[in-house]
Amino acid sequence: MRGRRPSGWIRARRWAPAIGVASALVFLVGWPLVELLRVAGEEWRGGLGDAGGTMRLFGNTVLVGGLAAVVTVALGTGAALVTERTPAAGRRWLRLGLVLPFLVPPFVSALSWLRAYGPSGLMDDALGIEMPGVFGPAGVIAVISINAMPLAYLLAVAALTSRAGRDFELAGRVSGAGPLTVARTVTLPLLAPALLGAAALVFVLGINAFGVPQILGTPASFEVVTTRIYQDLARSAQPEAFSRAILLATGLVLLAFVFTVIADVLLSGVGRGRRTAATDVLAGRRGRPRRGLTVATWAIIAVVTIIPLVALVLVALTKGVGVAPTPGNWTLANFAEAIDGRLLGALGRSLLLAVLAATGAVLLGAAVALLRRRYTGRAASFAVMLGFAVPGSTLAVAMLLSYGSVLRDTLTIILLAYLAKLWAVGHRSLAGSAGNLPPDLVFAARASGATPVTALRTVVAPLLRPAIVGGWLLVFLIAFHELTMSSLLYGPGTDTVAVAVLNLQQLGDVPVSSALAVILTLPLIVAAVPLLATSRLSRRLLGNG
Amino acid sequence: MTDALVCRSVSVDYGDVRAVAALDLDVAAGETVALLGPSGSGKSTLLYAVAGFVDIAEGDIELCGEVVATPRGATPPEKRPIGLVFQNYALWPHLTAEQTVAYPLQRAGSGKREALAEARDLLGLLGIGNLADRKPAELSGGQQQRVGLARAMARPARLYLLDEPTAHLDASARTAVQERIAHRRREAGAAAVYSTHDSAEALAIADRVAIMRAGSVLQVDTPQAVYERPIDLWAARLTGPAAIVDVEVVARSEGTLEVALDGTRVTAETDDAAAGGRVQMLVRPEWVTLGGDLGGVVRDVWFRGPYTDYTIEITGGTLETRVAGPPVARRGERVACTVSRGWVSAG
Repeated sequence: MRGRRPSGWIRARRWAPAIGVASALVFLVGWPLVELLRVAGEEWRGGLGDAGGTMRLFGNTVLVGGLAAVVTVALGTGAALVTERTPAAGRRWLRLGLVLPFLVPPFVSALSWLRAYGPSGLMDDALGIEMPGVFGPAGVIAVISINAMPLAYLLAVAALTSRAGRDFELAGRVSGAGPLTVARTVTLPLLAPALLGAAALVFVLGINAFGVPQILGTPASFEVVTTRIYQDLARSAQPEAFSRAILLATGLVLLAFVFTVIADVLLSGVGRGRRTAATDVLAGRRGRPRRGLTVATWAIIAVVTIIPLVALVLVALTKGVGVAPTPGNWTLANFAEAIDGRLLGALGRSLLLAVLAATGAVLLGAAVALLRRRYTGRAASFAVMLGFAVPGSTLAVAMLLSYGSVLRDTLTIILLAYLAKLWAVGHRSLAGSAGNLPPDLVFAARASGATPVTALRTVVAPLLRPAIVGGWLLVFLIAFHELTMSSLLYGPGTDTVAVAVLNLQQLGDVPVSSALAVILTLPLIVAAVPLLATSRLSRRLLGNG
Repeated sequence: MTDALVCRSVSVDYGDVRAVAALDLDVAAGETVALLGPSGSGKSTLLYAVAGFVDIAEGDIELCGEVVATPRGATPPEKRPIGLVFQNYALWPHLTAEQTVAYPLQRAGSGKREALAEARDLLGLLGIGNLADRKPAELSGGQQQRVGLARAMARPARLYLLDEPTAHLDASARTAVQERIAHRRREAGAAAVYSTHDSAEALAIADRVAIMRAGSVLQVDTPQAVYERPIDLWAARLTGPAAIVDVEVVARSEGTLEVALDGTRVTAETDDAAAGGRVQMLVRPEWVTLGGDLGGVVRDVWFRGPYTDYTIEITGGTLETRVAGPPVARRGERVACTVSRGWVSAG
């Protein structure tokens, strides 16, 4: 009878991956959230305290998320129409410029806006121009929108090239509709789900944002939920402050969760491969290149991204505040101070955490992607997405509640938070490719004499390698730039670079915080731009032409 | 009567690549012309230039006596009297079949209600009236293409452009769509340009076949003429099964040659006034019969049901022939055959 039915050992092996994924999910996401809800329930029964203040906080948060969503989607769609539907010259570099903000962590964007347009910023000193409202809701919304713009842009591009393919517009034209009628009756209805989904996603990013409102909002007494949680948790020792943080964190996660589900449903089909002969034949053929649009778009990119970054670098290079940023006043002293002993430690910790998080997230993501069983796989990827939907502030509070007694002030608790949050990023990068991998390829390998392990090594791994590398780099980038969770979880001797930048800025050390922000950002931009300009990855991301 | 389409030395550039090069083509009113060529020969580009999706670099395009495209300017697609059927159907995912077909009617000024009614009639004529309220995702490839066809037919077009309309269909759906196209077009009395890489389809459906290579029209003639008298060996292979054999010219008169093929004599047609000595001759399968004076060895036998295909090696080349009925010779067997005619081209 041996060999007729799977032995117990084989059955156990078959279930091992599912059991492993499930335990990791419970440990990283499930238990902390359950603990948060349990404690929140107790606090709730204990009374709310300042209900009016809480309402105002959530009002501000929704205002930031909502307006950022509208502004971002408008900008992103406009940019996508320029690069995909007009004969703008130099589209490849234009696309690169449009996704540039993605490489800058939001709090660094906020800092660089301050250095460029804030009081006694570069523009103020050089031209006497100070943008009103850099401190306050307008500045917060502007900077969040700019940082989220690449996301909306890429979603709009994906929708324009797949769901709203160009041939649909051409079919409208040969059916007798003019360009405006086609835009109204064909392009917009087809884009609508993607744009609404992008808006929901940006809304979630906006309400979860911490660095930008902390740097640009708090000094103007404009508070949102995340900054208040930080205030209550990191800056206050009162027990009632901790209770309030728990309730705020719970409220935030509910809000974020609803909109993440909306976004997920609306975006589920966007960009799924639909290439047609018409799009191929017409790719890159839209008449003579026009310079005007390109120049105008670059001008906007310069104002929102490049000038602020240049200002940041100039301030980092200049001897002191109030000194003209001319070559005669340049010095490397700020950089020397930024990588001096204690801060060098922060840099090392950030790198270590980012490498560990990237490796862990890719491995965990691969584990979920390889769960072939339909329902277990789907349930697992939903649970993983749940982890991503949880705002960083909430996740940090939940981690403190569940593991704080043992792990408080350690690097381990920060790493656990990163893994819980970024598992989904690793999974998404892999799931796309793994889902597109026809099982036939593995069967063909098996039929050619390969064992399962050999097939994995010789067929699956090489085909997934771009996705693995891409996912690893993405998680590394996000983890290296992470501020929200780190700022709530760090303790003496476990601060990361991002936390160090925030603390230096709040201490008012403008030159050194700028120098450290430059160290945190610029090497990655310098490394990423040539990579994006040449690699296969970018051809997928940015397209041809 | 003015021609439906006139292309005068039309060129289209894609960056540095010239996709269509100094192309001339006339399509008479009511006529169907098939563009036959391999992928990359410029068929789709030419159709898109006629539709107004791509600008032309040289020449001009005239539709029903009106110039619609020159290098300096072009009439937008919606103002041209054309209907286009897309290779990949290009059905709007957010509209049902009847809304899709009503779309061009509404653009032409019909009210919504009457446009939908007319759309349902058109779908009924194409045999898919029962699918009127389905969206593209709920339709098979053949059904989608018929909706695409109905949408094109809903326009008051003088010229229909069909861009490989059957390329993604299986054999039975292909036949159904081909029949519908031919039928609808005869009814409407409009001209059609039909691009395909399938010679059997081109020969069956067209009044004239335009053979395309590298962005130019190599030969335009009736289906029978391009099949029996292809301009060169490349065109011969494109238009159907083609055996090429080496022969010796022994005598010539106006338009015909007397050639020697391994001791037998064959009368071949030619367009080459200077043909002499050793030449290459095209032999189509149906120009070869079994039995006769020409000795050969059977290299391959393919039983196809109603008929059997043989490959026969002779001195001077390899012949193909198709004979009704089951196999009468085995692989490796010596057989005798006769070549009844041949074609020697100048190209």
